[in-house]
Amino acid sequence: MRYAVDHFARTTISLGGIGIIVILLLIFIYLVQEVMPLFSGASVEARGSYDRPGNPGVPTLQLSIEEQAGMAMRLDAEGVFHFFELDTGVLASSERLNLPTSATISSFASDSAESGLLALGLESGEMLLVEQEYDTSFSTVDNSRIVTPSYTYPAGEQPLLVYDNEPVTQIAVGSRGEQFLAALSNAAGDVVLLRGARQQNLLGAFDPDASPVYNLSQITLPELVPPANQLLLDGDLRWLLAIDRRGAVRVFDLASAFRDGSVAEVARANLLPQGANLVDARFLLGGVSLLISSDRGETSQWFLVRDENGNQLQQVRSFGGSDSPIVSITGEWRRKNFVTTDATGSVRIFNTTASRAVFEGDLLQAGAVAMAVAPRGNALLLESTDGKLHAWRLDNPHPEISWSALWERVWYEGYSEPDYIWQSSAASNDFEPKYSLMPLTFGTFKAAFFAMLLAAPLAVCGAIYTGYFMAPRLRRKVKPLVELMEALPTVVLGFLAGLWLAPLVEEHLLSVFSIVVLLPLGIVAASLLWMYLPRSLGEYLPDGWEAVMLVPVVLFFCWMAVVLATPMESLFFGGDLRNWLSDELGVSYDQRNAMVVGLAMGFAVIPTIFSIAEDAIFNVPQQLSYGSQALGATPWQSLYRVVLPTASPGIFSALMVGMGRAVGETMIVLMATGNTPIMDINLFEGMRTLAANIAVEIPESEVDSSHYRILFLAALVLFVFTFFVNTIAEVVRQRLRSRYNVL
Amino acid sequence: MNADEELAAASQQEQGASLSDDDSLETCIEIKDLNLYYARDVHALKNITLDIPRNKVTAFIGPSGCGKSSLLRCFNRMNDLIDDCQIDGKIRIDGENIYAKRIDVANLRRRVGMVFQKPNPFPKSIYDNVAYGLRIQGMKSRRVLDEIVENSLRAAALWDEVKDRLDRNALELSGGQQQRLVIARTIAVEPEVLLLDEPASALDPISTLKIEELINELRRKYTILIVTHNMQQAARVSDYAAFMDMGSLIEYDSTDTLFTNPSKRKTEDYITGRYG
Repeated sequence: MRYAVDHFARTTISLGGIGIIVILLLIFIYLVQEVMPLFSGASVEARGSYDRPGNPGVPTLQLSIEEQAGMAMRLDAEGVFHFFELDTGVLASSERLNLPTSATISSFASDSAESGLLALGLESGEMLLVEQEYDTSFSTVDNSRIVTPSYTYPAGEQPLLVYDNEPVTQIAVGSRGEQFLAALSNAAGDVVLLRGARQQNLLGAFDPDASPVYNLSQITLPELVPPANQLLLDGDLRWLLAIDRRGAVRVFDLASAFRDGSVAEVARANLLPQGANLVDARFLLGGVSLLISSDRGETSQWFLVRDENGNQLQQVRSFGGSDSPIVSITGEWRRKNFVTTDATGSVRIFNTTASRAVFEGDLLQAGAVAMAVAPRGNALLLESTDGKLHAWRLDNPHPEISWSALWERVWYEGYSEPDYIWQSSAASNDFEPKYSLMPLTFGTFKAAFFAMLLAAPLAVCGAIYTGYFMAPRLRRKVKPLVELMEALPTVVLGFLAGLWLAPLVEEHLLSVFSIVVLLPLGIVAASLLWMYLPRSLGEYLPDGWEAVMLVPVVLFFCWMAVVLATPMESLFFGGDLRNWLSDELGVSYDQRNAMVVGLAMGFAVIPTIFSIAEDAIFNVPQQLSYGSQALGATPWQSLYRVVLPTASPGIFSALMVGMGRAVGETMIVLMATGNTPIMDINLFEGMRTLAANIAVEIPESEVDSSHYRILFLAALVLFVFTFFVNTIAEVVRQRLRSRYNVL
Repeated sequence: MNADEELAAASQQEQGASLSDDDSLETCIEIKDLNLYYARDVHALKNITLDIPRNKVTAFIGPSGCGKSSLLRCFNRMNDLIDDCQIDGKIRIDGENIYAKRIDVANLRRRVGMVFQKPNPFPKSIYDNVAYGLRIQGMKSRRVLDEIVENSLRAAALWDEVKDRLDRNALELSGGQQQRLVIARTIAVEPEVLLLDEPASALDPISTLKIEELINELRRKYTILIVTHNMQQAARVSDYAAFMDMGSLIEYDSTDTLFTNPSKRKTEDYITGRYG
C-alpha cells in the first residue's frame, strides 16, 4: 500500500512536470507555425496554355485579368479587344475600338491604377481614351456569376485630333479620383496635356448607368521634352517624367500648368548605369515609386525625396537576379509587388518594402513579350514569343515580410531617409504597410528599463533592510503587506496610472522631481540627526524598529517638495516646467510618458523583486552573520562581505523575474503609455510595447493576414526573449549558487 | 527582583565560585552577579559569579538548556544580536567592564574570538576566510596577510592539508577541517580569549581528536573557554571546569577535583551519569 501511494505520487508529479514542458513546447510550436508562412515565398501552379486569340502576327498592346481571375483581356495593335476565359482561352467576345479602319496605333499607355484607363496615340496625330471595365451580375437561373466586359470613351467616342498629321510618338495617362490626365508628345517633343474632370450633373444622380461626362481642357507646351523620350505621370498627376533610352530622366512640375501654362523642370537624374538601356519604366502601386528595368537584368526603385536643394530623385533599392535583359515589368494592383520577365522566360516577383524576391522561376521555354497580374495577385498571364498565352495560379500571401523589413531600417515611400516605423494600417488602399518590430522592441525595453530603474533599488534595499536589520515582529507585518501589493490587478494599476497619475504628474511635474531629489537627502539627514540624538531617546525604540521613525520624515519631505515646487517653478523655470522643457531643451512632453509607466510598472514590479530578494537574504544562515560579527565585523561589513554575496543568486533571480515581469506586462503599458510606436529614450515621451501592441491590434487584424501573423511573431519574440532571459538567469544563478552554496 | 534579594543571592553564590587553592593564577575574566533574561520572563542565567584564569582551559558542563552557551555568548556580547535579551551584572575582561557604554563591540569581539558548534566557514576561498578578520580591519598588505594566514593555519594544524589549495572554496573541506579553519580564522585576528561553543559536537571521533589536540596546543597562548556536552572531553582538555544547572552555577573547581571529588551532590550525579 505504501509503495502504491509512493508510486502514485511519483507518477502524478512526473506527469505534471512533463505536462508543463509539453504545453510550453506546444505553445512554442503553435507560434512558430503561425509565423512560418511569413517567411515562405510564393508558389505558382499552371492553369492553362493556349493560342492567343486574334489575328496571328498582330502584336499585343495590353493584357489584363478581371477581378475574380475568371476572364482575361488582350488588346492587340489593331485596336481589337479579345475577352476570353483565363483557364481555357475560350473566346467570349472580340470587339474593335471605335477607330477608323485605316488608323495605325503609334503609341499606347495604360494607367497604372485600377481604373482600366487606356490611351492610344495614332499615326494621324489623333488620340483615343478608353476606359475598360467588367460588370458583374448574377444569373437568375442558377445564381452563377456572369462577368460582362464593357468599355467607355471618357474623352469622346471619336478620336481627338491633337497634332496635325503628325504621329503621336509618346503617350502617358493617369487618373486620380474624378480626374484623368493624358500627356502626349510628337517627334518634335511638343507636349500636349489633356485633362478631363468629371462633370457633376443632376441626370447622373438619377441614372447610375449613364456614362460619365467629362469636361475637357487641353494645353500645348511646345518643345518641352526631348524627342523620343518615354513619358510617365505620377499617381498625383503632379509630375511628368520624360525618360530616354539611356535612362536619363527629367522631371517637370505640372502643378500650375493649367493655370498659367508654366511647367518647371525640377529634377534630373540618371536612372541607369553607363551603357545600360531602358527596357520599361512604370510607377508602382500608389504612383510614388518609379521602377526602371534595364537590359542588364536589373530593376531599380526610385522616388522623389525632398531635401534642402528641392526634390531629388533617389534610388532606394534595386532588384537583380536576372542575367538576361528584362522584357516586361508589371505592378500588382493592391500590394507593393511587381513582376518582371526576362528574355529567357524566367519570372520574378519582388516586393519593394521587404526588398526581396518572393518568387523566381523559369515558367516559359521561350521568352515573354507581355504579361498581366490579376487584381488580387492570385493569377498571372504570360504571352510568350511563340504566340501562346500561359495562365498561372499564384499563391503569394505574405510578400511584404522579410528579415530586413522587420529589423532593419527601411526606406519607405515618402520618407527622406530609411527609418524604423511601425504603422500597420492606414486609410488608403495604396498605403505601404510598415512592419518594423524595432520601435516595439525598443518600447518594451524602454518601459522595462524605467520600471526597473525605480523598482530595483527600492525593492532590493527594502529587502536588505527587512531581511537583515528589521525586528522579526515588524518583519512579519511588513513582508505580507508588500506582497499584498502584488495582488492588485495590473488593470487597476494601469487605469490609475493613465487617468489619475498621468494628469497629476503633468500638473505637479516639479514636485515629482523635487521628491526624487529631496527624499533621499532628507532621509540621510534624518539618519545623521538620529545618530547625534542622545542615546536615551533611542532607547524608547526597540532595535529594528527604526524604519517606523522614517514614516513621518518621508511624509514631511513629500509635503515640503510639493509646497516648494510652485515658488521654485516660477523662480527657475518661468512658471511652467513643461514649457521650459520644450522651449529651452527642446524636449517634448506627453502626458502619458515613460515616467508615468516607470512609476506605475515599478510599483507593480516591486513586490515581485522584494519578495524573492528578501527570502534570499533572510535565508542566509545566521551562523554566517554571527561568525562574521564574532570576528569583529560590524553589521554593515557582515552584510556586504558575507550576507549579500551569499544571497546574490537569489537577488539576481529576483531582479530577473522582475525584469521578465516588466517586459511582459501588458495592461499598465497599454493604459499609461499612449501607445505611440516611437523610438526615443526621452523620459517624457510614450512608447508602445510588443505586448501592448498585440493587445491593441489583434482584434482588428484579419485572421491569417500578414498583419495577424506579425502579431504572432511579436508574441514569439516576447516568448523567446523571456525564455532566454530566464535561461541565462538560471545558469547564472546555478553558478553563483555553486559558488556560495552554504548548506 | 529587588536590590536586597540580589545582594543576598550574590553573596550566597560567591563561596562556590572562587578558586581559593592556587594564588599564582591571574584572573582574566571576572564575572559578577550576572543575570540574563530572554523575552523578559525567561531567567536564563541566575546570579553567576566566577573568575576565569588566564591562559587556562576552562570547561563549562551541564545538561542541555542549563545556560552554559548563553553564558559563553555574554563574553563577546553575541547576546546583543538576540532579540529581547536583557543582561545585568558585570563582566570584566582584564579589568574592563565589557558592558560599559563606551565599549566598541566590534573591537571586543576581535579580542574575544568565538567558534560555534556547527562549522560556519564563509562561502569564500580558504585564504579569504582566514584573511577575513584582518581585511575588515582594513589590512590590505598582501605580504602581511600571506604571513598571518600561513601562521594561523599552522597554529590551527591545517596548513599541511590546505597549503596547495588556498584559493579553493572553504566549503569543499571536510567538517573537521572546516572547524579547524574557523579556529584559524579566529586566531588570525590575535584574540586574547577563545570561546569554543561545543566545537566538536558535530564532528566524527577522529576530527574531534584533532580539535582536542589543537586545544592543547592553543592553551599556551590563549585563555580558552569551552562548552561541551562530552564529559570525557571536558576531563581531557580542561584545567578548570564549571558545572551549571538551570541557569545557576553549581560548582566550579579544577577539573581534577570536580571530576574525582565533587563537593556537590548534583555535580556527582551529573558526571556519573545519574542525572536526569
